[in-house]
Amino acid sequence: MSDLLVDLSQNPLFKQTVKNLGLPIPTPQKLARPRGPWVDRPLHDKVVVVRAAGELEGALAETLTRAGANPHVIGERTEAWRAAGEAYGRPARFFDVGEIPEGLRAAALVLDATGLANPADLRALYDFFHPWIGGLRSCGRIVVLGRPPLELSEPLAAAAAGALEGFIRSVAKEIGRKGSTAHVVYVSQGAEPRVEPLLRFLLSDRAAFLSGQPWYVTKSAKLTPAPTTRVLDGKAALVTGAARGIGAATAKLLADEGAHVICLDRPGDEAYASKVAREIGGSTLMVDITDPEAGEVIAREISARFGKLDVLVHNAGITRDKTLGRMKPEWWDMAVDVNLGAITRINEVLLKEHIASHGRVICLSSVAGLAGNVGQTNYAASKAGLVGYVRAMAPSLAKRGVTINAVAPGFIETRLTAAIPVVTREVGRRLSALGQGGLPSDVGELISFLASPGAAGITGQVMRACGGMFIGA
Amino acid sequence: MSKKQASPPRRAVIVGGVRTPFVKAFQELLKLDTIGLGKIAVSALIEKYHLDRAKLEGVVWGGVIFPGGAPNVGREIALDLGLHHVEAMTCSRACASSLQAVTIAAAMIERGDADIVIAGGSDSTSNAEIKLPQKVVHALAPVTMGGKSGAMDYFQALAQLAPFTDILPQAPAVAERSTGEKMGEACERMATRNEISREDQDAFAVRSHHRAAAAVAADRFLDEITPVTLPGGKKVFADTMIRADTSVDKIAKLRPVFARKGTLTAANSSPLTDGAAAVLMMSEEAARALGYTPKAALRSWAYVGVDPADQLLMGPALAMPKALARAGMSLKDADLVDMHEAFAAQVLSVVKMLGSAAFAKARLGQDQAVGEIDMDRFNVHGGSIAIGHPFGATGARMITTMANELHLTGKQTALLGICAAGGLGGAAVLEAI
Repeated sequence: MSDLLVDLSQNPLFKQTVKNLGLPIPTPQKLARPRGPWVDRPLHDKVVVVRAAGELEGALAETLTRAGANPHVIGERTEAWRAAGEAYGRPARFFDVGEIPEGLRAAALVLDATGLANPADLRALYDFFHPWIGGLRSCGRIVVLGRPPLELSEPLAAAAAGALEGFIRSVAKEIGRKGSTAHVVYVSQGAEPRVEPLLRFLLSDRAAFLSGQPWYVTKSAKLTPAPTTRVLDGKAALVTGAARGIGAATAKLLADEGAHVICLDRPGDEAYASKVAREIGGSTLMVDITDPEAGEVIAREISARFGKLDVLVHNAGITRDKTLGRMKPEWWDMAVDVNLGAITRINEVLLKEHIASHGRVICLSSVAGLAGNVGQTNYAASKAGLVGYVRAMAPSLAKRGVTINAVAPGFIETRLTAAIPVVTREVGRRLSALGQGGLPSDVGELISFLASPGAAGITGQVMRACGGMFIGA
Repeated sequence: MSKKQASPPRRAVIVGGVRTPFVKAFQELLKLDTIGLGKIAVSALIEKYHLDRAKLEGVVWGGVIFPGGAPNVGREIALDLGLHHVEAMTCSRACASSLQAVTIAAAMIERGDADIVIAGGSDSTSNAEIKLPQKVVHALAPVTMGGKSGAMDYFQALAQLAPFTDILPQAPAVAERSTGEKMGEACERMATRNEISREDQDAFAVRSHHRAAAAVAADRFLDEITPVTLPGGKKVFADTMIRADTSVDKIAKLRPVFARKGTLTAANSSPLTDGAAAVLMMSEEAARALGYTPKAALRSWAYVGVDPADQLLMGPALAMPKALARAGMSLKDADLVDMHEAFAAQVLSVVKMLGSAAFAKARLGQDQAVGEIDMDRFNVHGGSIAIGHPFGATGARMITTMANELHLTGKQTALLGICAAGGLGGAAVLEAI
């Protein structure tokens, strides 16, 4: 499933010709993607330009230097940067606002906007990003940090905080053609120690296909020690629908981080599922998830082999597309039951006592579920249902340190999308800020992050892996 | 943090050591390979201490560049000296190889495996075997060594080698296998990252030469060096690279070697060197019974690994605190500190991190810095920049010099630190007897 335009756009001559002739052909940037498992310094030797005048200066100084970045700080020389720079041999360089050293290009731009008190303060966004945005490298990253608007008592401060989301969504669309992405991270008071793993992920190549969305970091689930490599060492994971596509890619990535992965798929797909399991040193479990006994069967397998399950990924799903007027009732029932009903039934059994404390549950939703799609009333209902489900489940699970989130993929290059007629497929691919489809592994990377101990700050949320789709929430 | 080590039931002691002069590679010692150099050091050691050859039980030898046909250099030395009954092994821990040899020998003695062991190491950079690139081997070996081959086979093998630029034999370089980076390039990055200036590096290099020159002038090394007789009959009596007359002004003119705008030069880096050093080690009882006066013992040692892609030569900043903790000491308790000088920038980086509370917190999990090093106690007779650095011999040189220093001055403890390729660090605490 190669993307001709992405391949062609790597050729400078093609790119220049398209530009000079003013042809209406998009030239999407080939995305930088990780080449192996998680590393200790994901930002090794990268120039990160940062303005940290807010409350997260200490966290940013520690995070960036520990991740191996060379911090270029807009603002005053402070103790936080000195100490972190000295400890990790990453002395920060300091600049005035608007000052740009000749020839310096940034791999990432990070703004701590936690201190904004009113709309006038939003000028800080313009002042920081305007001079630097042209010097952002391709496949660069932009991250703005703020406090969640709903946690701010001052309405004007809440307005400023809310504005960050609109800004980021627009910036994401402006920089997407160069493979760059943008995020806003809302950090609750007291959740500061949970920011580091998220920033390491968002600023790295692992977040290649994620863009233009808010991340809420809360302190509701307990943070346990978060390793930077082999993040799932010794953990047990179960991935449904693991025989192909996103499920197979996810199973592989979880295994790369040290997890034993149970590859679950329906009877009939043994050949594919066991091929995946063999490659990653995992095991298979052939169960039809719509079977009323499915939860019990899985529970027995887990109890017998691992005691408890640390990571549960509900990836299996189906489409039964027809416009509502033409849809048969079986098709409605089937889609809703596989995509939503089965998940809730299995969870009901497993969440009681088969998920380890500090476990991670991830449900695969879809951008279609957030935005709606012609011919997918059943599918979108089931996928949007998951959003309501994870939001409702999160608070009670957080008490045990367990997080539950939904992941909503956009256009991903899989067997399903390869079957779409060529014109529709071409349009689908380009309808995102990055101007291309994602790979199954791009979704897998997001799932792996949410499955990691460091993702404790994120629960009850829907995270998109859609390259900044023009449709959707 | 490491706990204090329990004292062993038997104590291994250092009776004394001796080394060859350290000579710039490809110069006077060109004709002596690592076995030849090691043989000179070991036989001189046996002679110096009138050791009964029958009583010697083992040789533990360190090295980095091994002769392909005889990698167990220690055994070859023993055989060449007619010591057939002496068991021997060879170990490699890059630049910490002979410190490793000494600690292996100490462990053997403490465990009761042996009473009298010679530990040491040698390297002859001059005799590094120039390797054929793998591409040549893979293309030609099947034809030349794989049975019947016709003329066509040779042509086909040669055709595989195009383009011919990457089949030239490569000059030996001290480069990391895992990162491909030369050690000097890695240290150049350390200089930048730890903000070590060219001026400070040059000043440190000059200090190393002046300290070493003062030691030479005071005949301090005379007892530690054995003259080498070359195959032609000529003799080399002393280290050849120490410069009493060097100055910051003189070496400030040198161009950087590893990066165009870099700070590392030939003068503030240790040179490629040929040489060998050997240390006579015994159990304390054996030494006393034979009438020797032991000079020092190892109170503790420690080895660490760091990511070579991060700061390749930062190992001693972690190994030295570990060895101190195992000895139940802090840095200020060490009367002497001796650190291998791979590069001035590396020494100054490690010294800076030992003094950094931020580093201690981040890397050692302790709030207090390991401590500031008192420069009056530091590398009192210079170091590898001035004296030279035959990779396998440096640890044994440092052990010898520090054991003698404790013995001569009446000081109690010495802390040693060595950085090594592969991101390794080694350290040891010597105590006077």
